[in-house]
Amino acid sequence: MNGTANQLHEHREVSELIPWYVNARIGDADRQRVDAHLRDCAECRGELQLQRQVHAAITADPGIEYMPTASLKRLQARLDGLDATPDAAARASGADRPGQRSMRWGRSMAASIAVMALAIGILAAGLWTRYQVHARPLDYFTVTTAAAHPPQEVIRAVFAPATTLVELQSILDEAQLRIVSGPSEAGVYSLAANSSLSVSASLGLLRTHAAVRFAEASGPAAAADHPQ
Amino acid sequence: MPPLVMNPLKEHDSTLLAAVAAGDRRALEQLYLSYHRRLARFLSRFTSRYENVEEIINDTFMVVWQHAKDFRHASQVSTWIIGIAYRTALKSLRQQKNLGFPPDAEALAETSTDPTGETETQDWVMQGLRQLPLEQRFTLELAYHLGHSLEEIAAITDSPVGTVKARMFHAREKLRRSLPQLGGGGEL
Repeated sequence: MNGTANQLHEHREVSELIPWYVNARIGDADRQRVDAHLRDCAECRGELQLQRQVHAAITADPGIEYMPTASLKRLQARLDGLDATPDAAARASGADRPGQRSMRWGRSMAASIAVMALAIGILAAGLWTRYQVHARPLDYFTVTTAAAHPPQEVIRAVFAPATTLVELQSILDEAQLRIVSGPSEAGVYSLAANSSLSVSASLGLLRTHAAVRFAEASGPAAAADHPQ
Repeated sequence: MPPLVMNPLKEHDSTLLAAVAAGDRRALEQLYLSYHRRLARFLSRFTSRYENVEEIINDTFMVVWQHAKDFRHASQVSTWIIGIAYRTALKSLRQQKNLGFPPDAEALAETSTDPTGETETQDWVMQGLRQLPLEQRFTLELAYHLGHSLEEIAAITDSPVGTVKARMFHAREKLRRSLPQLGGGGEL
C-alpha cells in the first residue's frame, strides 16, 4: 500500500516535470529521475510523446517578424514627452497639495509660452532648412522620395530577419564594415568601411553569407571603386 | 529551434541596464533593439494586431526606463524584462477581451485547411491554445516558445513554483481534451 502511494506520488511529480524535460530546461538530477520513471510508465511515455508534438508545433511557428525601427521612434517620442514634462507623472498619480496649484498654474503658463516659442522656432527652422543643400534625412518616405544616405556609407545591405546580433557582428567584422545607420523601415543598413579593404572586396565577402539578403555599393563609393 | 532564452549576451544586458539606470537613452535603445524581435514574435502569438504588440513592447520599455534603477540582480535581466512584458501583456489582452475584441480574430479566420499533416497539427495546437485561460497559455508558451525553465517562469510570472506547475498541469489537461476533438480523429 505504502509502495503504491509512493509510486503514485513519484508518477505525479515526474509528470509535472515533463514540459521541462521536453524543452531541455531541466536539471541533471530531475532528468535522470524522469528517465528512470519513463522506463516503467507507459502513461508518462504517452504524455511525453504528446508534449513533444505540442512543443514541435509551437516552435515550428516562430510568430510574426516585425521591424523595430518605427516602434522605437514612437518610444523615443514618448520618452521625449516624459523629459519635456518632468512633473507629468506626479500630476497623474498624486493629489494636489496646498500651495502647489498656483505654482503649477505658473508652470503651465511658462510651459505654454515655451511651447509657442518652440513652435515658432521649429517653423523658422523648417523654412531655413528648405534652403539647405545638405538637408537632414526625412522622418518619412514615399516611393518617389530618394533615400538620403550617411556620408560615410559605402554599402547598403539587408540581412535575414533571423540573423542574430552575434552573427551580424561576425559578418561585418569579416567584411571589415561597420553600421553607420539603420535598419530603415525597409530593413536596410548603411555600412561604412572599417579598413582600406576595397568596397568590391567587402561586397564579395558579404555576399558569401546566406544571411545577407541584399548588398549593393552606394553610388559615389561604387563609382570610385569601379572607375570607368 | 534552440531555446531563445539562452542569451549569450547576459553580461552585455547587465551593462546596458546599468547604463539605462544612469539615464542613458542610447543604452535603452540598444536594449530595445536586442529584445524587440524576441518579444514581438512571442506576443504575436497572442494577438495578430501589430499595434497591440508594439504598445505592449513600448509600455514594457517605458517601465524598464523608469525602473531600471530598482533592478537588484535577483534574476537575469532577460527574466526581469520578460516579466514586465508578461504583466503588461496580461493587462492589455484582458482589456481587449473586456472590450469585446477577440485577440486572434484574424488569425482564427486564417486557420488553414492545409492537408499536410504538419501544418494541420500546428492549427489544432493553436486552436487548443486559444481556448486556454491566459495565465495557463502564457505558462505553456513561456516554456515551449521562449524555452524558459520552471524557476524562470515562476520569476517571470511572480508566482510560486507550485502555481506554475498547477497552471502547466491544467493547460496540458485542457489541451489534451481539445486536441482530439479538433483533429476529428482522436489522434494528434
